[in-house]
Amino acid sequence: MKKLIAIVLTLALMMTAASALADLVIVQNKVEITSQMEEFAKLYEEKTGVPVKVITGGGSSDYNTVLKAEMQSGREPDIFVIEGPAHYEMWKDKIADQTGADWIQYTSAAFMVDGKAVGFPVSVEGYGMAYNKEILDKAGIDPATLTTYDAYEAAFAKLDSMKAELGLDMVVSMVAGTTTGMTWVTGLHNFNVYLTVGNERNDTTYIDKVLKGEVDEERFHQYCQYVALIFKYSDPDMLLNGTQDSQLAAFANGKAAFYHQGNWMDPSLVGLNPSFEIAYAPHAFLHEVTDGILVNPPSWYAVNANGNVEEALAYLNFLATSEEGADYMVNKAAMVPAFTNVTLSPATPLSKSVMDWNAAGKTYDWQQYKLPDGFGMGTLGPIYELLASGAIDVDTFEVMMKDAIAGIAK
Amino acid sequence: MTSRKKRKLTEFLFLLPTLIAFVMVIIIPFIFGIYYSFTDWQGTGAVSQSVGFANYAEIFKDAGFLHSFLITLLFTVLNIVTVNVVAFAISLLVTSEIRGRNLYRAGFFVPNLIGGIVLGLVWQFIFSNILPSIGQSLGLPTLSKSLISNKDTVMFTMVTVNTWQYAGYIMLIYVAAIQGISKSVMEAAEVDGARYWTRITRIQIPLMANAFTISLFLTLTNSFKMYDVNVALTNGGPVTLFMGKPTQASELLALNIYNTAFKYNNMAQGQAKAVIFFIVLTIFSIIQVTWNKSKEVEA
Repeated sequence: MKKLIAIVLTLALMMTAASALADLVIVQNKVEITSQMEEFAKLYEEKTGVPVKVITGGGSSDYNTVLKAEMQSGREPDIFVIEGPAHYEMWKDKIADQTGADWIQYTSAAFMVDGKAVGFPVSVEGYGMAYNKEILDKAGIDPATLTTYDAYEAAFAKLDSMKAELGLDMVVSMVAGTTTGMTWVTGLHNFNVYLTVGNERNDTTYIDKVLKGEVDEERFHQYCQYVALIFKYSDPDMLLNGTQDSQLAAFANGKAAFYHQGNWMDPSLVGLNPSFEIAYAPHAFLHEVTDGILVNPPSWYAVNANGNVEEALAYLNFLATSEEGADYMVNKAAMVPAFTNVTLSPATPLSKSVMDWNAAGKTYDWQQYKLPDGFGMGTLGPIYELLASGAIDVDTFEVMMKDAIAGIAK
Repeated sequence: MTSRKKRKLTEFLFLLPTLIAFVMVIIIPFIFGIYYSFTDWQGTGAVSQSVGFANYAEIFKDAGFLHSFLITLLFTVLNIVTVNVVAFAISLLVTSEIRGRNLYRAGFFVPNLIGGIVLGLVWQFIFSNILPSIGQSLGLPTLSKSLISNKDTVMFTMVTVNTWQYAGYIMLIYVAAIQGISKSVMEAAEVDGARYWTRITRIQIPLMANAFTISLFLTLTNSFKMYDVNVALTNGGPVTLFMGKPTQASELLALNIYNTAFKYNNMAQGQAKAVIFFIVLTIFSIIQVTWNKSKEVEA
């Protein structure tokens, strides 16, 4: 028994020693890229002589447990992942300012608080109106012109009139059903179009208003017209009964010209072997030109102010600015880097398009996650469904949406 | 210590493990729940403020909750009727002389062994994919659209699925009761010239009234607390207009409470709804059991 205890203790000591040996400890949450990240850490050690240890917490809830455990382990991690404002609030006492770092000049997606950069974007995700280039070509529509409401209106009408010869079942593959749980597409992602399109990133004018229960009348009116336009050219059955899979299948099989989803659908999309070129067009809902898609990092690397700040910053800089870092992010981990200096292209179509838009600096922010819990999916989502089912017209939709938003403030 | 006292102590000690578990997972959370419903607890950390009856007052202004309440009553009534009628009918079938009745017994009971979530998803596929394609090929306009996404038929789909799942279970209770009726009573009735229908309504049903008490109680509470099939089959949708407000057409009370607490992260409000839910269900159950008990007779 004594022997066993001794062995266990020795092992425990060795393990502590192992992480103590590493100059840099990273706690991260993407299980699917654990081995790629460790490989990159090894490569970094060969290059710079700094040993790096990667600790992974699986899934978002587990990640929090792992992070808390590591923070209390006596060897705090130097770099850890934060997933959004709530997470930042939890750890802000430990989070270091990265404002002076080199990588900042190459991105607009840093996690900013009071003008300070406190989070390094791990990757970016994006959504817009994905289009089937072959169909648009046949209909003589140049996707580059789809930057205003009027352009979309004309394009949709044209495609609709040519449905039979193009083999289309619907113009837009869109879902809005509460039964199938798709209200995040409408109540969160589509609603964010109203919040940020046309604005500088980090401009919070419209979300601030919404949180006070107000909307910008003219802009909101135009947004409602845009929603109605998309629904009008969608398939009514798909809107109400469509699932993520059937929505994708309609587009991937060439039965829809447009597809309202983000690049996270790439693995499934590639699995269906679409035979045509795919890219994103903007959600341009205004009469004025807005040229950009909605892009945001799902998570950020924060640097622990109590840890080895210098080494941590050096590591992140290497990740963002070196060829090896680009190769790791794009080819190994199959992510869309948030940095404009990376010239490698992802192999999958939607991610590639997100990357192109991001590299061109034409992106708008995601601010829907600042809405109160349940508001987007539970309160706004049902109103979109009413419009989709034809139970209300666009004017009633506008009134109901405003009512719901006014209800936030109390 | 007298032996009587000793015996009591032994009994108590044997009861203790279960009692501890019961107190820990039912009684204490229940009391805490009532307490939280008077606070503005958000589910994390300590309670900050007592808010008196504010959570309860809020509920009565909530059109969604009222709607859930009404459709839960409707669902419960429909479900009690269909489940018990179907269960009684098939129990008569499987206690008759029909060939293969054991196979039927097993077959009718099997749906009850499938989890509600799986069942909900399977039936969702049937209602929104299989039936519409049958309807389209036959040219039936009512069937060619999903019955789930139609606010007028969604309740029908939920009752169908729940009956399919639950009737087999209730059938077992009726079967046991029918078999418990003395053969001599039935034979005497037959000799006296009572027809099949008369025998059922005048002899079998009164004699198995206690089975109705328990079956109605089970279906009442089961329908009232319906959650898993609700969430998997319809997820509360589609959306309808109720008092001019967008409302989930099939969001039963349990789902409404869950959504309030976890989707809107409004724990205290959800708790208050749960307390009301508990009180209403208790009242209904007591009324039902008392009424049914008064109908029970001895042979």
